[in-house]
Formats: sequence, C-alpha cells, structure tokens
Amino acid sequence: MKGEQTSIPTSKVQRATRFLKTGAKVGGNYIKHYSKKMFDAELSRDQLDNDNAEDIYDSLSELKGSALKVAQMLSMDKNVLPTAYQDKFAMSQYSAPPLSYPLVVQTFRKYLGKSPEDLFDTFTKEAVNAASIGQVHKATRDGKTLAVKIQYPGVADSISSDLKIVRPIAARMFKISTAELEQYIGEVESKLIEETDYSLELKRSMEITGLCGHLEGIEFPTYYPELSSDRILVMDWINGLHIKEWLATNPSQEQKNEIGQRLWDFYDFQIHTLKQVHADPHPGNFMITDSGKLGIIDFGCVKEIPEDFYEQYFKLMKDDVLNPDYNLKDLFFELGFLSDKDTEKEKAFYLDIFTEMIELLGRPFRSKTFDFGDDTYFKQIFEVGDRVSKMKEIRNSKTARGNRHGLYINRTYFGLYNLLNELKAKVITSH
Amino acid sequence: MEKAAKKKTTKRSLSAAAIMKAYKKHLLTEGSQPASVFVFMEQLNEEEEEFYKYFSSFEAIDAELWKSFAERTIKAIKTDKAYDGYGAREKMLAFLFTLVEVLRKDRSYVKLTFKRPDKPELVPAWLKDFKKAFDNFSMEVIEEGIGSEEIIKRPILSERYHDGLWLQILFIISFWLRDTSKGFERTDAAIEKSANLSFELMGRGPLDLLFDFGKFLYQNK
Repeated sequence: MKGEQTSIPTSKVQRATRFLKTGAKVGGNYIKHYSKKMFDAELSRDQLDNDNAEDIYDSLSELKGSALKVAQMLSMDKNVLPTAYQDKFAMSQYSAPPLSYPLVVQTFRKYLGKSPEDLFDTFTKEAVNAASIGQVHKATRDGKTLAVKIQYPGVADSISSDLKIVRPIAARMFKISTAELEQYIGEVESKLIEETDYSLELKRSMEITGLCGHLEGIEFPTYYPELSSDRILVMDWINGLHIKEWLATNPSQEQKNEIGQRLWDFYDFQIHTLKQVHADPHPGNFMITDSGKLGIIDFGCVKEIPEDFYEQYFKLMKDDVLNPDYNLKDLFFELGFLSDKDTEKEKAFYLDIFTEMIELLGRPFRSKTFDFGDDTYFKQIFEVGDRVSKMKEIRNSKTARGNRHGLYINRTYFGLYNLLNELKAKVITSH
Repeated sequence: MEKAAKKKTTKRSLSAAAIMKAYKKHLLTEGSQPASVFVFMEQLNEEEEEFYKYFSSFEAIDAELWKSFAERTIKAIKTDKAYDGYGAREKMLAFLFTLVEVLRKDRSYVKLTFKRPDKPELVPAWLKDFKKAFDNFSMEVIEEGIGSEEIIKRPILSERYHDGLWLQILFIISFWLRDTSKGFERTDAAIEKSANLSFELMGRGPLDLLFDFGKFLYQNK
C-alpha cells in the first residue's frame, strides 16, 4: 500500500473546497508579498509566483481526472503562466495517486471478461506510471513487454462537473477573461471527453502511426486491439529516456539537432499532410530510445484541422503577410481576431498587437533554418505575452479573440517550440 | 417393486433449487410474492407440504438466495490467483467489487427484495444468512489486518469493526441500485473510496497518537 495515496478528495464538494483553499492561499501569498515588500523592496515577483505555484500545484496534484488535465494544459501554455509555475506543473504530468489492484482487476473483468493474470504472463500490481486520467501498468506476454493503460472509473462522468469548478477559479488564478475562458473550456471539454474514449484513441493511434510509419528515426508502439477496450489500452512498452533525462546524459549538438528535426518533421507532416495532429506535445509523451530513435506515445488528444481554418491560419505564417501593402486586416477579421463590434481605435490597437505577435511567432516559418536554442527569442515571446496580458484593454475585453480551432493548434506549436527550446535544437523549418 | 421405487424418485423431482427458481420467476414477473404457499405450490401442481420440506416461508427462500450471493462471491475471489497476495484492504475491495458483479446478474431480484433496514441494528430475516456469511469473511479479514498491523486493535472499538463494514456494504448495495452511470462505473468509484476510508479509520491515525499523548501526559503529571 505504501506510496498509494489513501485519501482521494472525492465528491464535488470536497474538490470545491480543495480549490477554494487554493484560492484563499493564493490570496494569502499576495498579502504576504505586499507586507514583506514594505520592508524589503527588493523582493521580486518571481518569489511570489513561486509561492503561488507551489500552493496551486499542491492542490492540483491531489486531484485527478480533468482537473489535473486542466493543470497540464495551463502548464503547456507558457505565455499564460509566469515562469515560476511551469516546472511545478510539468511535474503534475508525471505523478498522480494510483488505483488499488482489485479495481484494476475489476476493470479487466468488466471490459474484457478476464483477469490480468489470465491475459498476461506477468503484470505489475502497482502502477508504474500515471497518466492524467488513468494509470499505466507494465506487463509481459509472449516475450513482449507491454504498457497497459487503465482509466480511472467515472472520469468521463466527472469532467463536466470538474470544469464547472475550475472555471471561475482559473479565470482569477490565470487572469484569463471570462469570454476567452468560455471558448477555451468549451473546446477543452469536448477534447477531454474524447480522451476518455480509449477505443477512439486506439483507432486514431493505429491510423496516425500507420500513416507516419515512413518517417525516419521515429518509433511508435504497436497497439493491441484484441487486448483493449473503452477503458483499457494495450501497446508496446517503449524503453528509453524522457527528454530531460536524455539531456542529462550530455548528448552532442548534432544529436540534439537530429532529435529536434525529427520532432519538427513529425509535426510538419501531420499538420500539412494529414491535417490531424497529436495535440499533446508535453515532454512525458516523448522518449529517446536506446537506439537513438524518437519514441512517441499517447494519441489521446488529436485535433483534426478543418480545411478552411487551415487555409486562413497558415496564411499568417507566409512571408508576404508582413509586407506593408498586405491586407492583414481582412485576414484578422476572417480569423476572428477583429470583430465588427470593435471601434476604430480598438481595431488599430489590436491590429498592432496581432501583427507584432504574428511576426514573432511565425518567425521560424519565415526562415530556412531556425535555432530554437536561442533563449532571447523565447524571452521575447514571454515578454510580449506578459505585456499583452497586462494591457488594460485586453484584460477588460469582453470579446473573445481568435478561433476555437486555433486553441489546440496554438497549444501544439507552443508545446513544440518549448520542446525544441529545451533540446536547444537547430532545425530546418522549410523544405 | 423396482418400478414403484423409480416412480417415487420421479415424483420427488421438485428440488429446493427448482422451488427457488420458480419463486424467483414469480416474484420477477408478478412484482410481488405469491398470495400464499398453497397458491404457489398449486401452480406447480404440487402439494403444499412439499414446500415445507425445504423452506418454512417465502422469506426463507429469500434468505437462501441472498446467502448464495455471498457464498458465490467468496468462492469467486478465493479462486482468483491474485487473492492470496492481497492485504486486508485489497481483500475487502475484491469482495465488494465481485459482489456487485454477482448481484448484477440478479439486479431485478435485488431491487425488489433489498430494502435498507430502517434501524441498522435490526437485520431483517431474509438478510440474516447473508450477513452471517459476510461477517465471517470480514472478521477473517480484520483478524488478518490486525496481524499485519494494517488495522489497529483498539479497546472495545475493534470488536465492532465488522459492524462498520456491514453498514458499508449496505451503503454500497443501495448506492449501486441508485447508480445510473454506464456500466455502474460510479459504484466502482464508491467502493474504492469508501473502502479506503474505512480502512484508513481502522488503521493508525492521529486520534491514536492524540490518545497516546494524552495518556502519557496523564501518567507523567
């Protein structure tokens, strides 16, 4: 039993109090900050952010299911979060409290009619890894090592009620306007519900890994439909190191570039050719295998890109959009960055900001190669993100700007940029 | 002579199992018990006294059916390969999960007969044998838990642990009967959480430390 969390906050009420506690504590940290500041003017905002991140992390790490997923999502969007939160949240991607073994057996009996002992040669009684809405056990069968992902019962049911709780608190905690949050959460909710359907994940995993099979230097696990069901997913176990661990082994710059290039090509192919993309580029989903390949797992979150959105969105990344004579305004209207309800002053204001952001974020697309190890580039992104999120006009804006479909695409690119930055990789971005 | 004996055995074909089956069928199709044992046996073309060879009343059949739920559950978990390796908490969890599986096959019957007792200390006649079987099981588990120190022996209280587990099982059955989620997933969660709670309460907790500390202060004042 050791190591398994014994008291899981369960009901909605308990979860709510858990969140309220965080809210209160965050408030407390601000008070602490300002009272300290009266004596010590040097105290930086970083210290404050650290305190807050810790409290928020402590609370969220005791939750599982969709609340944890929201934490993950927010930790991905680095420009929403101050730097201090990120490492903490990144940790939430690796650990959640496990389920008891009898419940694992029960789930197998219910969905496959057999115990794990009957299906596998060996099966670990304790989870070796936690996914956000389930846990992973290691098993062997016919000489193969397998990863068996099992979903927590009742997750699908609890998503909507969880998000209702997260909504107001997230709005305050992460300074997102209500309108923006609505759009965000609506899309997240539908994606989360999809993620609880392991049969769908199985289908997509097999489809995408099949179509990407020709990409060099990438390894996908084989999936086992006959051992999987709505709540159980069985695939090959991929041996290897997570990116952080791999970097700790001091790989050469060439090796880092190579891994970075594979990552970029994998996403490039999905987005431009398949028009559906593995939209969960968090570090836990990638491994560097012993033979130096890039292993990719977890196709729970796949975003299909509608054709008309694709056209508009990638126009933004083209070279010519930044020419002074290009009609960016119309494109912004199409993408919902600008609205008819805006006053002339607002239009001018947003046009400026979005042009700046597009120049910045699209920069890798406008050159042949791009050095993602360039920290000044990322500092610039954070600086702009930070400045924009502090603008009165934006914080008070009731209009949500941007396109629903953009959320996951942006998230994918943020995740990808961050991974490449972590790798310090130099990548050929246009072929 | 031989022929007569044979005739006698075919006449005695109505077994306890057949009566139970016929009774259950009547209950499920009519939604209530037969008006009397007489009416019930007449429908089966049998003498009333045949019934009393096995059962004293319809309630006795219910008791027998419920007892069989518990027995089937215990038999199923004990044949599971993983069971011997379980600790006390896992054994109880396995029992509860399997019980719900067993009951699922007879959900309509359970729904018709199961009424949570108004006063928890009173156990209705039809549930007595089920309780006895469960108590035997839970006391065995508690004993083992005490041995492995998963459960703490406390004066007076530890004699009553199995009563707490009994209330828990009543809660779970009624939760399951009200559960509308797909595949009764919420019941799985309820079992996991309530069993974790009860084992947490039976294990060493802050109250024990508080009590211990109080005793220490008292002895040393």
